[in-house]
Amino acid sequence: MKIITCYKLVPEEQDITVAADGSLDTNKAAPKINPFDLCAVEAGVQLKSLIEGCSITAMSVGGKALENPKARKDILSRGPDDLTVVIDEKFEQLLPHQTARVLMAAAQKSGFDLIICGDGSGDLYAQQVGLQLGELLGVANINAVSKIISAEPGKLTVERALDNEVEVLEITLPAVISVSADINEPSIPSMKTILAAAKKPVTSLSATELELTEFPALVELVSVIAPEQKARQKIVIEGDDEQQIAQFAEHLRNALN
Amino acid sequence: MSKLSNIWVFSDIASRLPEMIAAGVALGEKVSTFVIGTEADINAAFSYGATHVYYLGDKDSQKITEDYSHTMAQTISAAAENTLMLLAPTKRGKALASKLGVQLQAGVVNDVIEISIEDGIRAKHMAYGGLAIAEEKINSPVAIITLSSGAYEVQAADTARTGEAVSVAFVEPASTIKCVERRAKQGESVNLGKAKRVVGVGNGIGSQENLQVAAELSALMGAELGCSRPIAETEKWMERERYIGVSGVMLKPEIYFALGISGQIQHMVGALGSQTIFAVNKDKNAPIFQYVDYGIVGDVNKIMPALISALKA
Ligand SMILES: Cc1cc2nc3c(=O)[nH]c(=O)nc-3n(C[C@H](O)[C@H](O)[C@H](O)COP(=O)(O)OP(=O)(O)OC[C@H]3O[C@@H](n4cnc5c(N)ncnc54)[C@H](O)[C@@H]3O)c2cc1C
Repeated sequence: MKIITCYKLVPEEQDITVAADGSLDTNKAAPKINPFDLCAVEAGVQLKSLIEGCSITAMSVGGKALENPKARKDILSRGPDDLTVVIDEKFEQLLPHQTARVLMAAAQKSGFDLIICGDGSGDLYAQQVGLQLGELLGVANINAVSKIISAEPGKLTVERALDNEVEVLEITLPAVISVSADINEPSIPSMKTILAAAKKPVTSLSATELELTEFPALVELVSVIAPEQKARQKIVIEGDDEQQIAQFAEHLRNALN
Repeated sequence: MSKLSNIWVFSDIASRLPEMIAAGVALGEKVSTFVIGTEADINAAFSYGATHVYYLGDKDSQKITEDYSHTMAQTISAAAENTLMLLAPTKRGKALASKLGVQLQAGVVNDVIEISIEDGIRAKHMAYGGLAIAEEKINSPVAIITLSSGAYEVQAADTARTGEAVSVAFVEPASTIKCVERRAKQGESVNLGKAKRVVGVGNGIGSQENLQVAAELSALMGAELGCSRPIAETEKWMERERYIGVSGVMLKPEIYFALGISGQIQHMVGALGSQTIFAVNKDKNAPIFQYVDYGIVGDVNKIMPALISALKA
């Protein structure tokens, strides 16, 4: 079985700062693997351990950040056998319907039985890429997969935790699934896997190699602005002596009445 | 704001339908609602303001709701007009949105908190874990939006209202996903989003025994108990329905009281709609203190019992 696990590099949220005009400054925020995609990779790794003759290709689309050797080692240390990156300047700020089109071209080139994506990414959290990718490829696709129950040639059985019910689905392969964050607890790479990652093969593709010419701008990003915060009292009592707690309790009691 | 001549609406969860229709009524002249279910469901759609119902048949245990995407896409494209489809912001709603997006070559935006129709359709949604609001402009003739709750006021049902109902034949999807089992989710249903007072518990609570203490404090305050994500997802001490934040529940209470919660943006964005915020955290540099009205730097183990006695007194 040939598995592709997709991932996106997103800026570390903790290091994003908000400028006075509300715009976000991500210059100091190092790129990291989108946390939801770590679950997708882990799901691939767990699946591989159950099936004989299984390979995992990690795949990402983006700009210059994907050239970074550390970022490449990071994803490969989590278990994939090799890495395919599609890098182009114009892929720097892709919207989901465009990312899905680039991934489609790359996946068609490499071939696959199963593609695993995260349900969303920590930046725009658009929650569309896996689903649109599957739909563009014309294969079975579904989101919110919370458990992989079994895999056999040509078929995957999964559980899906929905808003008010749980579904067990049989999915005919090839397919694309998007997994929810509660599917697993991604393991932390060991020194051994980090060292091994450096030796794994990386394929770098360009837009030209994938014969990607123009693709539609069905949606445009107009702005990303931090909303104004409500003014707060910010009365902070330092210390938990009896008297200090009593003071705090008084504020609470006032608010309750 | 100008109105569209027709808006399409669908919700896979009956309780979310009224709000979707309310948005349709606000944004369009005609509100065409897809219904899967019974005659009662059709009548309910009319009673909330749908002008047209496109009936996809009875619920079918063999099918998943996503299998109807082709049926919906064909119906919408047959109408040949610039239009907007509104879906409930559920997992299914989002799956349908993306599938329809590809099938109709339409732009999709999820979890939308505000829609405007000026020059084209613009939609706002949260980004960067709640740190910012992204505004997107949809350029395609059909726009697809999953709409967050709270954006539009629900109209009272009026059973006297009727409209035109049309049966639509099912269009077989190309791909194959078979539903072999479906079961209701375990656990009570809570609606934290509507609660007037909420106590949120984070990792700092330390133990399940302490959760009992927090529950007692919460009960004394007349509050619902909620939590941060790790308490629900890692510890699994509370149901997922109770975690607050960008990927959980968005609150609008009068009082939010955070116990042992660090206050990272992904959590806080769910709490920032609160009128007054209280917090206990032992770390005076915890980000939560940037958002509080009243905070105390100290140990929950000591402060919770003390507050319980104080509130009982
Ligand atoms: C894309 C994305 C989406 C996310 N969505 C959500 C979401 O919707 N909701 C959510 O909650 N999180 C979400 N998170 C996770 C979020 O970033 C934080 O990791 C999480 O909210 C932290 O939970 P916490 O504050 O309970 O735990 P911690 O970060 O572990 O903080 C515990 C706090 O308790 C304090 N403490 C410890 N012991 C005591 C004590 N004895 N007395 C008093 N205080 C004490 C500590 O000082 C600390 O500040 C998301 C993350 C990502 C990346």
